Amino acid sequence: MSELKTTDKDQSALAHAKCILNRRKFLMYSGGIAAAASTVSITLFDGTAQAEIRKANVQGYPRKLIAKLSELKDHQPVNFNYPDDGKNSQAMIVKMGNVQAGGGVGSQRDVVAFSYICTHQGGPLQSTYKHVADQRVMGQCPLHLSTYDLRRHGIIVSGQAYQSLPQLLLEVEGDDVYAVGIMGLLFGRQDNLIA
Amino acid sequence: MSIDYYQAKDHAPLPPKNADVLTTACDYCIVACGYKVYRWPVAAKDGGMKAADNAFGVDFPGNMLQEWVAPTQHNICTYKGKKHNIVVIPDKDTNFVNTNGDSSIRGGLLAQKSYSADTKTKDRLKTPLVRINGVLTPMSWDDAIEIAAEVGKHVLKKHGEAAYGIKTFSYQYIENTYAVTKYALRHINTPNFTFHDTPAYVTSTPGFRDSGFDNFGPSYDDWGSAETLMICGTDPYETKTVLFTQHIMPGIANGMKVICLNPRETAGIAYINKMGGLHIDINPGSDNLVLGAITRVIMQNGWEDSDWIKKWVNNKWESNSGCGQGTRNTPWQWRTTWGKFQTKGYEDYKKWNLKQAEYDPKSAAEKASIDVKKIYQAAEWLAKPVNGKRPKTSIGIEKGFYWSNNTGNTNAISSLATICGAGGRPGQVLGRFGGHQRGGQKGGGYPRNKSAQKVPGRRRQALDTDRWLYSGHTRFAHVIGTTWIQSMPGSQGLAAKFEELVVKNPHQVKSNNKAEIIATLKKRADSGGMVVINQDIYLRDPIGAKFADVVFPAATWGEVDFMRANGERRLRLYQAFSDAPGEAKPDWEIISLLARKMGFDGFDWKNSNEVAEEASRFSRKGRKAFHMVKVAAHIEGKTLHQKMREMGTDGIQGPTMYNYKTGMLYGSKRLHDTTVGEKQFTAMGLSNGPVKENRYGKKMTHFNSQTGKINLQKHPWSLFGDLWEWLSPKKDELWMSNGRVNEVWQSGFDDVERRDYISQRWPGNWVEIHPEDAKKRGIESADMVMMYSDRVPVFKDTILGVHAKDFQFSELMKNGHIKLDKASISAIAIVTPTTKEGVMYANFLDMKQPNNSLTIRVPDNVSGNYNYKMGVGKVKKIGESEFKKDFRAMSFAPRNIT
Repeated sequence: MSELKTTDKDQSALAHAKCILNRRKFLMYSGGIAAAASTVSITLFDGTAQAEIRKANVQGYPRKLIAKLSELKDHQPVNFNYPDDGKNSQAMIVKMGNVQAGGGVGSQRDVVAFSYICTHQGGPLQSTYKHVADQRVMGQCPLHLSTYDLRRHGIIVSGQAYQSLPQLLLEVEGDDVYAVGIMGLLFGRQDNLIA
Repeated sequence: MSIDYYQAKDHAPLPPKNADVLTTACDYCIVACGYKVYRWPVAAKDGGMKAADNAFGVDFPGNMLQEWVAPTQHNICTYKGKKHNIVVIPDKDTNFVNTNGDSSIRGGLLAQKSYSADTKTKDRLKTPLVRINGVLTPMSWDDAIEIAAEVGKHVLKKHGEAAYGIKTFSYQYIENTYAVTKYALRHINTPNFTFHDTPAYVTSTPGFRDSGFDNFGPSYDDWGSAETLMICGTDPYETKTVLFTQHIMPGIANGMKVICLNPRETAGIAYINKMGGLHIDINPGSDNLVLGAITRVIMQNGWEDSDWIKKWVNNKWESNSGCGQGTRNTPWQWRTTWGKFQTKGYEDYKKWNLKQAEYDPKSAAEKASIDVKKIYQAAEWLAKPVNGKRPKTSIGIEKGFYWSNNTGNTNAISSLATICGAGGRPGQVLGRFGGHQRGGQKGGGYPRNKSAQKVPGRRRQALDTDRWLYSGHTRFAHVIGTTWIQSMPGSQGLAAKFEELVVKNPHQVKSNNKAEIIATLKKRADSGGMVVINQDIYLRDPIGAKFADVVFPAATWGEVDFMRANGERRLRLYQAFSDAPGEAKPDWEIISLLARKMGFDGFDWKNSNEVAEEASRFSRKGRKAFHMVKVAAHIEGKTLHQKMREMGTDGIQGPTMYNYKTGMLYGSKRLHDTTVGEKQFTAMGLSNGPVKENRYGKKMTHFNSQTGKINLQKHPWSLFGDLWEWLSPKKDELWMSNGRVNEVWQSGFDDVERRDYISQRWPGNWVEIHPEDAKKRGIESADMVMMYSDRVPVFKDTILGVHAKDFQFSELMKNGHIKLDKASISAIAIVTPTTKEGVMYANFLDMKQPNNSLTIRVPDNVSGNYNYKMGVGKVKKIGESEFKKDFRAMSFAPRNIT
């Protein structure tokens, strides 16, 4: 958890958590008692009198060990499935060569994880990770050329998709990196968590 | 910069098995992909994950390319007063356009367009408003219409038709444009009329028209079945996205070679380049030179398509022919009065081209600042026979090209295409690659002879409404679905003029008494001021928010049944599926109320279908003639709209034909199709000529010229060259061009401010600067920069041309008709090699910081169109944007990463 405890506003992991968890304010309020839920530190009501750092639930999502920081090599994505092994769960984690990213963890905040499935029409983004100067993208999708910005929470750079590439929320415990949640809906699902 | 951040949801409902299913097409770009709308009451159960439990019949999680609902494709709207779930997704069953259910980012977000009191659409206009004491105050339809009509009538009577100005969208559905033009041209009969994207009622592509080409003759299939495709002034991946992914990409996979003429390398061009394409990265406005040089190389090598030219190019006698009346009365002839364009055929054109020093490849390459080898390479790909076989060549153009040197470029490309044999055969076509969907249907003729403006020669020229307004002649401005000010060049100067004529005039409404309001507004018009009425779906700033005296709320896509055609003339019914907000009415109905109050007859329509049915017979000459659909519908006992509804997203391509014997309707795959044979005529029941109400015009199998053959035209650089030289960047200036991005393309009127995802992607005005130019100025990505100029040329006077050169830029300058304005705007810098060194590329239409402030307000001296893509300016850093440190919005990744 150490990587997420910073209160430096500029640190992207925190900004990321804030962004991610906006969508789940409901969960944050209603959570806290759910068993086996993972928690992350987030700032609620940032910039207001009510601002506070608190532990929030990432309710329902499995906490899955996906990588060891020390084993991640620059620009070499490591593949895994999340949140389950069902359809469209293929994802990757990558260390982006010391370039800071929104939602990045690790000392350089350059470790991020994303879904591999294009949110436009489900095209496979495997092998499309690219780094040019200080830019990091996934794409072009082989189907319709959508490209996503991995430094900016998977926002579309250019293309057809109508939402960002789902970014996986990460937690670090010592050297271990866990996936603990997803921002956005995986292609082909109506809920990320399916029974 | 304050942004409402998009909050990614991780759930979207599936439509249940019994959901209502309606068809429509995308409201935005001209490709017009087919969509399905699923609707079910919020009280009803959502669909389930099993195929048997949802409307798609698909097991979830689904597979690649299958139906799926992204969270942004769902909305909750009101239908017949009750809340309903609405899901809008691309139609997987459509057989044309977006075959296999492809969709763009804009179309993908269509569901969010629909009005809902709980979303950012909540500020849709809901009641008529009248400005009282500076505040737009709700008023009843009756009173608001009466105020507008009374003042309108007064202006017509006292100041004449030309004082009643109408600026309207050209594309927002056949029913609306028919009503608007019937009102404006047939009844008001004003020459002070134009569409949203041009200062005067003129053609967008004069060279096409004069040569004989329709803008939208080709079928989408043609763009993928060429062997060489040349794309000028656009990246179709940005502007005709699904055309690119569904037609051009498969063509490239089949070995089609692609040449792009464009100062920028965006995603589609990057893909083309990766696949071995040729990118001619010219300086803005130098297209004409490069094309002239390519054409010269082709002719010098004898690679021209001699058979085609012999058969289809007008010779000396044909160029002058005109069946007694002569061609004097055609736009083609008056433009050629000076002898600047007309040729005696191919040899004459060749002689002329070879004589022009500027078409020497070396000289052209230098001015365009490109590698001269690209000119030779392009000539080879376009026209050099391989093993005795000519390549099948097609050429597509769009605004970056025809809004740079409007007449010169469109003439040059028509000649190049013809010499390559492109124009009238499958896979060998010439057409446009963008524009709005084709929803225009004229309900009256433009009264050209009333225009106060004349170019040297015989004919009057359509009135430049901006200059006319600028000179204080417009007393009543009726604005329909356009921003007017930001969309026109020299925007800041134009805004100041509106301010002076409307807001600073002493006659301002201070009372809510109807008679007093009318009297005050009449006084304003009589005192040399201007009254503004505005129909729109949102209150636009400043035209509605600051200037309009009366605002009428309009109903739009998805709220009323409408018809429209796309870029291959495919007509579809865009069905209504939810309620319009408040008392909003379709524009045709607003016009009908106003027209009746003005005392005009023929505006008594009861519904949208009645307007379409009246309009149909006026469509018969046009490229999207749908009259025969109505004929078929009536024979079958249906209405036109009913018949269109049956055709769903497949629709039918205009012009339409009907076989009275078999009862079959036929569309037209392409215009100018010289390969159409007896078999097709027989099928259509037209082997002995058109039957009954069918009309089979020249454009079907021939070209739109006096003979049906192509006019091969000259395209002199000199008409534009003086302006280009004057404008070219001096000292630390850069070229300043502009355009759109895929994410906001013909959708800016309702998505960029109202869809959080789009606002987050493009949170403010932006400008691309080449890394070398940025370095010299100490600019980094995400810096805030100011772009400014103290030499924005503005042609300010309405003049009658007498001498041949009167409208030439250097003459206008010499005679004091050009004023140099100052302008400055700010933007977020994107330092990227996607734009050419020396060229800034900015967002085409930011509502608050319109880049048109820096573009030249000097219409093309022949056509009367603006060359919106031309501008220069300096740029300097003024600070840092929040996006330098905040990663939640914007992206600075170059669009050309492949």
